[in-house]
Amino acid sequence: MTDALIQFNDVSYHYPRGKRWVVTHLNLAIQRGEFVALMGENGAGKSTVCQMINGIIPNSIGGRLLGQALVNGMDTTQVSIAQLATKVGIVLEDPETQLFTTSVLGEVAFGPENLNLPVKEIHERVKWALEVVRLSGYEDRLPTALSGGQKQRLAIAANITMRPDILVLDEATSQLDPVGVEEVLSVVRELNQKYGMTILMATDASEMIARLMDRVVILDQGKLIADGTPRQIFANAKLFNQVMIRAPQVSQLANWLTSSGHPLPQSPITVEEAKEGILSILDGEPVLPVAQSATPLLAPPNGKPIIHVDRLEYIYPLLNVHAVRGVSFDIHRGEFVALIGQNGSGKTTVLKNLLGLLRPTRGEVMVAGMDTRTAAVGEMARHVGFVLQNPDQQLFAETVEEEVAYGPKNLKLDKAMIESRVAMALNLVGLESKRKEFPPALPKGDRAKVVIASALALDPEIIILDEPTTGQDYRGCHQIMQIAQSLHEQGRTIVFVTHYMALVAEYAQRVIVMKAGTVLLDDQTGDVFARPDIVRQADIIPPQITELGQALPPRIGLPCSPLAVGVMAEAILDRLARQRLN
Amino acid sequence: MGSLIAYYPGRSFIHRLDPRVKIVIMLIVSTLIFTVQRIYIAGMVLVVVLALWLIARLPMPVLGGLVRALLPIIAFLFIVQAIFYPGNTPLIKPLIPIGAGIGEITLEGVLFAVLLALRLIAMIILLPLVSYTTTVQKLSLGLVRLGMPYKLAFTTTTALNMVPILQAETGVIVDAQRLRAMQSFEKGKLGEKLRAYPALVTPLVIGSMRRAQLMAVAMDSRAFGASKSRTYLEDIQMQPGDWLFLVSSIIFAVGISLASARLPILL
Repeated sequence: MTDALIQFNDVSYHYPRGKRWVVTHLNLAIQRGEFVALMGENGAGKSTVCQMINGIIPNSIGGRLLGQALVNGMDTTQVSIAQLATKVGIVLEDPETQLFTTSVLGEVAFGPENLNLPVKEIHERVKWALEVVRLSGYEDRLPTALSGGQKQRLAIAANITMRPDILVLDEATSQLDPVGVEEVLSVVRELNQKYGMTILMATDASEMIARLMDRVVILDQGKLIADGTPRQIFANAKLFNQVMIRAPQVSQLANWLTSSGHPLPQSPITVEEAKEGILSILDGEPVLPVAQSATPLLAPPNGKPIIHVDRLEYIYPLLNVHAVRGVSFDIHRGEFVALIGQNGSGKTTVLKNLLGLLRPTRGEVMVAGMDTRTAAVGEMARHVGFVLQNPDQQLFAETVEEEVAYGPKNLKLDKAMIESRVAMALNLVGLESKRKEFPPALPKGDRAKVVIASALALDPEIIILDEPTTGQDYRGCHQIMQIAQSLHEQGRTIVFVTHYMALVAEYAQRVIVMKAGTVLLDDQTGDVFARPDIVRQADIIPPQITELGQALPPRIGLPCSPLAVGVMAEAILDRLARQRLN
Repeated sequence: MGSLIAYYPGRSFIHRLDPRVKIVIMLIVSTLIFTVQRIYIAGMVLVVVLALWLIARLPMPVLGGLVRALLPIIAFLFIVQAIFYPGNTPLIKPLIPIGAGIGEITLEGVLFAVLLALRLIAMIILLPLVSYTTTVQKLSLGLVRLGMPYKLAFTTTTALNMVPILQAETGVIVDAQRLRAMQSFEKGKLGEKLRAYPALVTPLVIGSMRRAQLMAVAMDSRAFGASKSRTYLEDIQMQPGDWLFLVSSIIFAVGISLASARLPILL
């Protein structure tokens, strides 16, 4: 195995000033042409592994590296970063940090220029790279004016002009909407299949891994704990008890059935395979569709809505972009609403209008009895807790408790009251033990929780969360949504935005689908996902388990648009039980 | 307010000028702006700078935004000059005589304030003429050709490029504070506003440090500084038009400063 393109021999690594070894005794060999996924929770060491491959660790960052990391037979500590740059390209999570010129052409040419290549050759490479990522004709565009998916494709182009053997993508799709993810994936796949480039992708998008990749490597606390094909990995139910990473929903279903003593003949990783498997264990007897426990109807709204949006239009003045074009909806006290749609469909603009961060160009927005055209944001904050996308821009204080106390202090509450609010908020998010810590130094999931606690400390009736789960791992996503759910159980009104449809299906009672500044659909969650034709117009892909329900023939009597794996699993087990009785 | 640093793609004469010419002329004109003592000459320089904005087809709403942002400073200038500038032509006498001309609003004081305001506006809208019309690649190449080492030139232009990002980020952080019931930015008195600013620093600094670290990773992976010499895809060559513009600008500047010394001070 010494001819592997990437070869880690018993590698351990410790960051300078780090508290622990972030990678321990890692042995890993990746052959030329492989398409490998790297999975693990936040803090498992994925980024560290990515940066060890291109030598940034330890050559640029420092720290202690034990063992040997070989790339193309070269010991990464013995060659310069620039030499490795022609072997390994890396695409990072945040597009903004890896684009530093003011034209697409300049961005893509930057690497070869640094290599001092002749102009003619640079032009050839640029032309090729832009064709591969489908950005030909964009040469003079401003990188900052591109969409998220285009920016990441540009970052790929900027790396492949160095003609690397290996392309590393470190969570490169986690900030994108589904369309952006698809764009990036199709490019990466082509690089692998057509150009034989070796790809290592740190990601948790397991449905995509199952569809495209050869191999999955799982890290847990710096250790490699599993390595195999997607099928082997996702069928390993024991593994998923050990680490919290996301398996495709069809695999979760199969594992559920297996643990209940009814394994499917082959462990499925796609909807099609799951469908075949399920049909093979059920007898062909058609059953009358069971009177399905339809989604319980929401209590009919009573009284005045707490949020009233009437024919809202918003135009961004400097850019003259008509972002919201006549949106109306009412939200009543105690609802749990998801607002979904692609980036640029106007979700965030609508949310900002709810708080007066933006004021309607036309139309009316009333929130908790206040007209947002006239109310001050600071005043509205008593009634509406709004958590913005990036937690790091919302942490100002030295300690967690000061951070959470910031809002109540602005309200000029007395000391005892502030303390009780802080205690209440920290208790709700489960961070009592971290009161004295420096917020920016906390793990990603905890930083998001601090920001939520800070909004809760104002004791608002309405909580609005704008993409609270972006950049969070599986554990983080569910912890945040469970906090939202417990707030909802206290009677608060919740509105959230996410691109992660499994969360929408699992937690929201009602879904508002936006497209191009308008509302495409506004209904109970089950009814929204039961209409895949309309949902797909907004480029939204329903959760995999819902798709499975829709793919199965109605005559077998399973839920046709299930929202959670458990619902489907219980229905299949129930059907099997009745089958045995007959 | 618009940013002073941003790039507006275009193909105007100003866009196509050699970056060296733009940098040199900017330096000359800023010196000129700081040395003129005559209102009408400052006004003329301002008109020329405005004309260049039109030639470059830069967005006028952005210009309006820049000037609006200056209004408080200009108002402040007027007040200070009106009160403290010594002059012989009183317009309004102070209610209570303080002596030594303090508190007296004089014609000279007002005219001096006008001069300062014109200079300030000209200065602020001069910089964008370069930064809005030049890609960072060309700007850094211009600096390199003027003798700056590449790494320094790249760092300088990249730092300039960061300004709009930091501005946007500041906006988000201020929003985040308002969402936590901070009312100083909306309703607060000046003192309260000033006290609210330090809280912006922590997230800005930490954000910048994170970004810088990641940027270093991205730069390394693209062989930044890999070899001593470096190719420049968009090479720059002084064209006849560049020379002509450079020479005529220098003549204009020298002419004005010579004339300025001989002309009467006021109107």
